[in-house]
Amino acid sequence: MAEEIKITESDVYAANIFLGAAVPLLRVICESEPKYGDKFKGKFFVFQMSALYDGVPGGKIATHFVVEDGKWTCKALEVHESPDVEFQFANLRKLNIFMSGKGMPLPRIKGASKLGLLISLLGALLRMAGLMQATTMPVSDADKKLLTKLYFYLLPNGISRLSKMGQPDVLKVTSVSPDRVYALVVNGDDELQSWVRMKEGQTSSGRGASKRGIPFLSMEFRDPASALGILMNIDNMMDSIETGKLLINGAPEFGDLVGDLMFKVAYYAQGEFLVKEKLL
Amino acid sequence: MAVEITAAESTKLATAEIFGRTIAELGEKDSRIVCLSPDLQSSTKMGDFFKKFPERFYNVGIAEQNMVGIAAGLARAGMVAFASCFSVFMSLRCLDQVHTDVCYQNVDVKLIATHGGTSYGPAGSTHHAIEDLGVIRTLVNMTLICPADGLETANAVKAAAATPGPFYIRINRGFDNTVYRNPDYGFQVGKAVTMAEGNDLTIIACGSCVYEAIQAASILKAEQGINARVLNMHTIKPIDTEAIHKAIDETHRIITVEDHTIIGGLGSAVAEVIADYGKAAAFLRLGIPDKWSPIGAPEDLRAYHKIDSAGIAASGSEILNKTVETGGGNGIDAGAITQSVLEVIKSALTVAKRTLKPGDKWDDEV
Amino acid sequence: MSVLTKQEWIDLETKVAELRDLCMQTTQWGHGGHWGGSSSVADILAALYFKSANFDFKKYDDPDRDRIVVSKGHAGIMLASLFSVLGSIPREDLKTFNLTGSKLGVHLDSNKVKGIDASTGSLGHGSSLALGMALAGRVQGRSYKSYVILGDGECDEGSVWEAAMAGANFYGRGAENYITIVDRNKCMIDGPTEKVMKLEPFADKWRAFGYEVIEVDGHNFPQLINAIETAKADKAGKPYAIIANTLKGYGVAFAEDNYLHHYGMYPPEKCVIAREDLAKVAKARLDVAKSFKKDTVEVEDLAGIKTITKKDWYVEEAK
Repeated sequence: MAEEIKITESDVYAANIFLGAAVPLLRVICESEPKYGDKFKGKFFVFQMSALYDGVPGGKIATHFVVEDGKWTCKALEVHESPDVEFQFANLRKLNIFMSGKGMPLPRIKGASKLGLLISLLGALLRMAGLMQATTMPVSDADKKLLTKLYFYLLPNGISRLSKMGQPDVLKVTSVSPDRVYALVVNGDDELQSWVRMKEGQTSSGRGASKRGIPFLSMEFRDPASALGILMNIDNMMDSIETGKLLINGAPEFGDLVGDLMFKVAYYAQGEFLVKEKLL
Repeated sequence: MAVEITAAESTKLATAEIFGRTIAELGEKDSRIVCLSPDLQSSTKMGDFFKKFPERFYNVGIAEQNMVGIAAGLARAGMVAFASCFSVFMSLRCLDQVHTDVCYQNVDVKLIATHGGTSYGPAGSTHHAIEDLGVIRTLVNMTLICPADGLETANAVKAAAATPGPFYIRINRGFDNTVYRNPDYGFQVGKAVTMAEGNDLTIIACGSCVYEAIQAASILKAEQGINARVLNMHTIKPIDTEAIHKAIDETHRIITVEDHTIIGGLGSAVAEVIADYGKAAAFLRLGIPDKWSPIGAPEDLRAYHKIDSAGIAASGSEILNKTVETGGGNGIDAGAITQSVLEVIKSALTVAKRTLKPGDKWDDEV
Repeated sequence: MSVLTKQEWIDLETKVAELRDLCMQTTQWGHGGHWGGSSSVADILAALYFKSANFDFKKYDDPDRDRIVVSKGHAGIMLASLFSVLGSIPREDLKTFNLTGSKLGVHLDSNKVKGIDASTGSLGHGSSLALGMALAGRVQGRSYKSYVILGDGECDEGSVWEAAMAGANFYGRGAENYITIVDRNKCMIDGPTEKVMKLEPFADKWRAFGYEVIEVDGHNFPQLINAIETAKADKAGKPYAIIANTLKGYGVAFAEDNYLHHYGMYPPEKCVIAREDLAKVAKARLDVAKSFKKDTVEVEDLAGIKTITKKDWYVEEAK
């Protein structure tokens, strides 16, 4: 190996968010947009994103999808021994740089011979990356909705993953939390809804409405643009509340708490840590 | 008479603000209404009334005893006096005046006790009112109401203004979770409101715990298939014995939930009714144990005391495992035996249901 | 300026004599009563109910009548006797005082005795109550007066001073009609007020709280009436407090100015002596009134009008 890279804790947190919470969104892209999804009709294969890492048994972490005739099943943070197509990064840092759009370190591509499949997969991946790495509001309503969905699925999942890994700032909150559900929702739309539940250090997350009744606190956005305004850091939270774009159901002081957790996920998922911690 | 507070507004207004608006509206219709405050005009939101009727508003300074005494004097002379201060002081510091000047004389003094329970959590135990329901409940002639949210507070205040005699309405500091979206749900002093139907157990709650109980019932339903009945027992005195009798007969299991010490409040009131009825019921009182509460955000304190939705739901599961002996006397009671057999089958089924449906699956969906 | 007519004075002396005697008898019927503090306050009550206050028990629900709150509720036995003298309470009912099933207890219940303005007994409440009544009058556009009669020992209670402060504060909002009268008999259960809990400088305390203070002899009708009428006229621009200097157990030689005679009943033979004493006092006081030279008592006459106390009628038997 030409260069010695020291993998930090932040790399581990970020890689887990990417593989555990971000990469699975590929399925959402393919299910939501026929333009990408239809290309996998009639195809049966296993696709895996992975990075080598000494810190785990087997020396590798991965997330794989089982695709059966265009139907996607995601196995988050599970290694498949013999995927048909695999993008494998040499280490976690490279995965993180690639996923956060801070650079283009190339993965080792397994299954390069299946060129058509590879191009289709890359198309879907680039579509996802393009959406997630955007810093301005998408133009079309469909894109706004899709990106909102991606964020809604990423953030609670990311919070939960960080907690499970023991990220200190997140664990500080979840470890002392009573059994509570925090939710994100757009105007009662079941598709645009997700939640994270925490109780004394245990966490779980999911999509749609929480089964545990009305959440302890929910951030209810008027429409996808209002949600993205906050999530993409375009709008001011107080202004959004004033103008009715955002309704916080629950005690306002706990809104700040969940906001801080979401920022923590963004810190890793948007690659901010790479810059701040001088890892590029 | 309708006091116009829309559902949308009610979610944005602190409960005390809703009281403030309601009393200001009532003041227009009834010239007998006067308001008193011990330097808490702003905290207790009597400002609206003061602006409209400065000549019928008295700020008595930091002197709660004097406030209640003057209120009773005003009432003896034909006025309807609304006096408001923090619940902990209303129920303890000026209790002698409430007892003698208000209740003994049976006058039209309506006490609006704010910052009830641990709703002013960060202020510590000097400002937690965890004994007020128990203390006030024992006073002759007193009607004691602990509304669930802002719209119910408006209803309670209207009822107090329209009904002769002393009232004590215990509300919280700040915002309450919205239980009612529409004020016309049939509020009636002394009549519990059924918030959820169910026959496996009954959760009887008051004040901020009503919202939590409703959430607990939906958790129990979704995760364990348990059907909990939820009663909003907004009137602690006179308590709705009929609703409690029905709960005993139909659900055999009762949990009471209150932001109050478990001694003397809603739980004790319900226990008295159960004991008087003479039929057994599995029974749990949730509230603040016989200890000083920690300081903290009210939501956190409710969780700490297990009177939040999760805590109530956990108690809901627990009480289903309790056996209820519904028989009575020494003789063999065929009905009771049948009942017991049914109970055993029922609890077995419930346990089965629960094993089939794992409740907590601490996993992330992807 | 005239204070009261000679005839009114004579009538008051006659009625208060009946009142004290009846009260003494009631302690026998009721097997006890707060005789000491009742006798000290009797002249104040008589001055109000029989002369200065606009009060007719037959029109107890007249919203325009004056209000009288006897904050020293343990004087209930004297108040009950007074209502009996007024004709409101039948004499037969008075004979049930304190007894099981009676509507008359030690402390009178405003819901049981028509015309009693407040159920008192817990000390330190009456000032707030009377102030509230005064404030209500203002809101309702009525001009009735609201009197509170305090015991001096009662003034140890903080709530008295909360109300005192509020009375001065609400002058202009109804407290113009709020008049405080203190029965300053200088005794409480455990001893003289100045030994148990110092009240002096008592008048200065009221002045400091914003009151116009009038100090009078509480067993001298012309002085009492003059003070009450002055307070009613409301010329000082602040509320009035009348400090009526009285004697606990007034009119009974062995009890007068003795804090020990707070509550109880005397053995029948002692009661006979007490009633004889009361008759002697009544006569001495009536003589003062009858011997007054003019038909009307004027303010300038007040200084010359003698207050009768034990030394004026009681001759200690030679040993």
